[in-house]
Amino acid sequence: MRIVVLAKPVPDTTGTERLGDDLRLDRLSSPPIVNPNDEYAVEQAIRLVEAHGGEITLLTMAPPGATETMRKALAMGAHGGLLVTDDALAGACALATTRVLAAALATLDHDLVLAGAASADGGAGVVAAGIAAIRGLPYLSYAGSVEVLGDRVRIHRLHATGYTVLEAPLPAFVVVTQMVGEPRYASLKGIMAARSRQIRSVSLADLGLDPAEVGGSAATTRVLAARRPAERGATRVVRGSPAEVAREIVDLLDERRLL
Amino acid sequence: MTIALFEPFEHVPAYPLVFPVFWGAFAVFALVVARHVRVWAAAHPGGPAPFERVPARAWGVVRYTIAQTRMFRDPRAGVMHYALFLGSTILLIGNINAVTGGIPQAVVGWPLDGILWTALVAIQNAVAIAALIGVAWAFERRLVSRPPRLLLTRTAIVILLMIAVVVSTELLAQAFEAAAWGDIPGAFVANALAIPLAGLDEAWLEAGFAVLWWGHVVALGAFLIWIPTNKHFHIYTSFVNVWLRRLTPRGRLPVMDLEVEDATFGLRTLADLGWKDILDGFTCTECGRCTDACPANRTGKTLDPRGLIMGIRRMSTAAERGIDIVPDSPAVREIRGSDDTRPDPSLLAAPLLDGAIDYDAVWDCVTCGACVESCPVLIEHVEKIVGIRRNLVLDESRFPHEATAAFTGMERSGNPWGQPASTRLDWTKGLAFPVPVARDLAATGRLRDIEVLYWVGCAAAFDDRARRTARAFATCLDAAGVRFAVLGQEEACSGDPARRMGNEYVFQMLAMQNVETLKKYDPPTIVTACPHCFNTLSHEYPDFGGTFTVVHHSAYLARLLADGRLTPGAAGTAASAPAVAAGSDAPGRPAGRTVTVHDSCYIARYNGIVSEPRAVVGALPGVRIREMERNGRQTFCCGAGGGRMWMDETRGTRINEERTRQALETGAQVVAVECPFCMTMVGDGLATAGAADGVVALDIAELLAEAVAPR
Repeated sequence: MRIVVLAKPVPDTTGTERLGDDLRLDRLSSPPIVNPNDEYAVEQAIRLVEAHGGEITLLTMAPPGATETMRKALAMGAHGGLLVTDDALAGACALATTRVLAAALATLDHDLVLAGAASADGGAGVVAAGIAAIRGLPYLSYAGSVEVLGDRVRIHRLHATGYTVLEAPLPAFVVVTQMVGEPRYASLKGIMAARSRQIRSVSLADLGLDPAEVGGSAATTRVLAARRPAERGATRVVRGSPAEVAREIVDLLDERRLL
Repeated sequence: MTIALFEPFEHVPAYPLVFPVFWGAFAVFALVVARHVRVWAAAHPGGPAPFERVPARAWGVVRYTIAQTRMFRDPRAGVMHYALFLGSTILLIGNINAVTGGIPQAVVGWPLDGILWTALVAIQNAVAIAALIGVAWAFERRLVSRPPRLLLTRTAIVILLMIAVVVSTELLAQAFEAAAWGDIPGAFVANALAIPLAGLDEAWLEAGFAVLWWGHVVALGAFLIWIPTNKHFHIYTSFVNVWLRRLTPRGRLPVMDLEVEDATFGLRTLADLGWKDILDGFTCTECGRCTDACPANRTGKTLDPRGLIMGIRRMSTAAERGIDIVPDSPAVREIRGSDDTRPDPSLLAAPLLDGAIDYDAVWDCVTCGACVESCPVLIEHVEKIVGIRRNLVLDESRFPHEATAAFTGMERSGNPWGQPASTRLDWTKGLAFPVPVARDLAATGRLRDIEVLYWVGCAAAFDDRARRTARAFATCLDAAGVRFAVLGQEEACSGDPARRMGNEYVFQMLAMQNVETLKKYDPPTIVTACPHCFNTLSHEYPDFGGTFTVVHHSAYLARLLADGRLTPGAAGTAASAPAVAAGSDAPGRPAGRTVTVHDSCYIARYNGIVSEPRAVVGALPGVRIREMERNGRQTFCCGAGGGRMWMDETRGTRINEERTRQALETGAQVVAVECPFCMTMVGDGLATAGAADGVVALDIAELLAEAVAPR
């Protein structure tokens, strides 16, 4: 089975992120990590390959340095990667990203495409659905579990009160939730194996795309302002015996009319 | 007086048969040992260098195997064992004499009219009685008083019986000889025993002598063949094991080469162990001191350090299957049809997990080293457990899932809490004095003025409670006028938790990064209030090119006190001032507090720093120290070592609660700690025990800060 996983490098959210004058992230100040939601997709892909055999290809659109981040997902157990990278893509909007990734996906053999729910930085949460629409793939989202049964994929779509069982023929696009299982911690064996795995870089020209249509200059959305959230008030720690602590917390909640 | 060879044995019928009988047995013994060695030789290469630092090695043999200092920590067992030890060494003189046709006697008996030999005979008689009392005592311990750490095995009983038979047959043979042919010079016990025998018929005496003498030699031979197959083998291996003991600091784990392709990382199989590790297995006497001292075992967890070592021996012995007892030779090959004298590779590839230790037990270990400290024959348990963790983490990525967050935090953010480095200096906010950062000092050329670099550590940077310790320690430094600096954002976790959780990859990454940072500033001294940072910086960073002078804050504060740079109560009001400096956990309390000192494993046991924290606490006005039963090098872990700080403790009872119970037993009002993790664990233990009685955990720096900087 050939699985493509969308794995986006995002800044590690440690509170040290800085925005540049153009309101875009200063990537040098925040070392990138694999988008945590996408790690669940990588984990799910590995489990499927462990059960059914096959290969996992990572698909990423990011600046050239992203290969280092992609290696972390390769170390978990993915087999290779395709990185779409082009200077013209700086500032690209979600729509452009969707088009570029859909075009890149078309160049890859795939039975199943997996992605995490949303990216930790942009957070639009629409790219996966957009790609599925462009490529005409069945789209199964909010998956709490993913099963491949012959030439079909079956998922549990989570709701607040339970789940729906959905099935679609392959190839299909599945967006997973964190319920599919904790991403594994890469072993040193995996890290060493990842060093020799191939990440192919392609440009917009390689994909036959016109920078004027999908580049930053053609962005359909624009960041107007960015503001730090106000510092939260000091945390209050309630100490004492369990009974005292419970009483005091109830009083506090009551005071704030939260009960 | 000269004694010819064979002359002492003129009454022994068929004496020359002793050569085939005993030396035949000896040959079998040698073959049995050689078969063990075949497996050891197939183990992982690399091990101690036996001829390096010979004086230190020789001194170790004297101290641990001749003087048996560790045995005497349990005085009853020590005395009993020493009687048996003398029995098997001093009586060796007579045994060698008996099986060599009297060579020792001929040599020693030659000068001074044989006085020396007579004295030796007398000593042997006395030792024989001591050994027999020792055997009786040992029986009493195994069968009657039964200390919990001792196993009641058939092997243990048979060994004692064999000792009793070997010693008593020799003594009784002498008694019959004396009764039949007259007193033996020096053999005062045998001669006394001969008195009641004198009435017997001479033929009976001669027959009794013959039976006892030969019985002794046969028992000796049989014992000799059997010894290498059981725990009594330690009578030979412990000398070797102690000689080969690790002479590097105990707190230094071996460095792994992480760039080797296609290697097994860490310890997975029997063959991944070094030969010295397997020798450890054959040195174990199953005495159970390690398991008895183990905090994980004590709190009902599956970890059993003795079981691990015995398991290694069992696996090594099992790997001998199929190897002929008679070594490889063309003749043997022809007769036996076997031409491979190496162990079966499939047996060498038996996994240690489940073979010697189970998965849960591997993760139960707090790496506190209580097992290593208690072992009379210097077996190393902790290294093996960490080795198995290394394999699980680096090869298989198998570990308690809670550890993932700590690993990821160390890898991405440089601290196991995963906190941003930008908050590393938050603990300094609101201090009445500035805390200079090394980078700033270097930029203005003032770095050369500093006396020490204060290595804060992640706990003190990010944990609320430990931040108070950092503030107290900095307050002490400031009060003493010490010119210090901190690294601030440039500091990263020392890597100790990663290393001890088996994640050598993350450890080495952090170690290299920190060594580079530290070398850049090249501080004259590094002081830290974290025992784990202390141990790793001082003992493990040299392997990564960073040799620094590192001092634990207990020693540093003790020095400041000794030098008169800090004077507790100097402000005049200290002794009676409310103790507020340390924070809200330290309500005002009049002088005359009782304090118990909880030693950190990595300070007291691994590094022998015991008197320093006591010097600090003892310098406080009106403080009395009440020790716990397990203190100093014998301290009991708080439960957070070995990365357990970041794992859930789900099996058995909680180690920190057990240690807190021990602390509360002293009746002390304050539990003084010297480690941020101990602080968390003892603090939690006190909260669970019901802190209503007002007992608090305070770092020694906090106690001192109260006294030197009352506010």
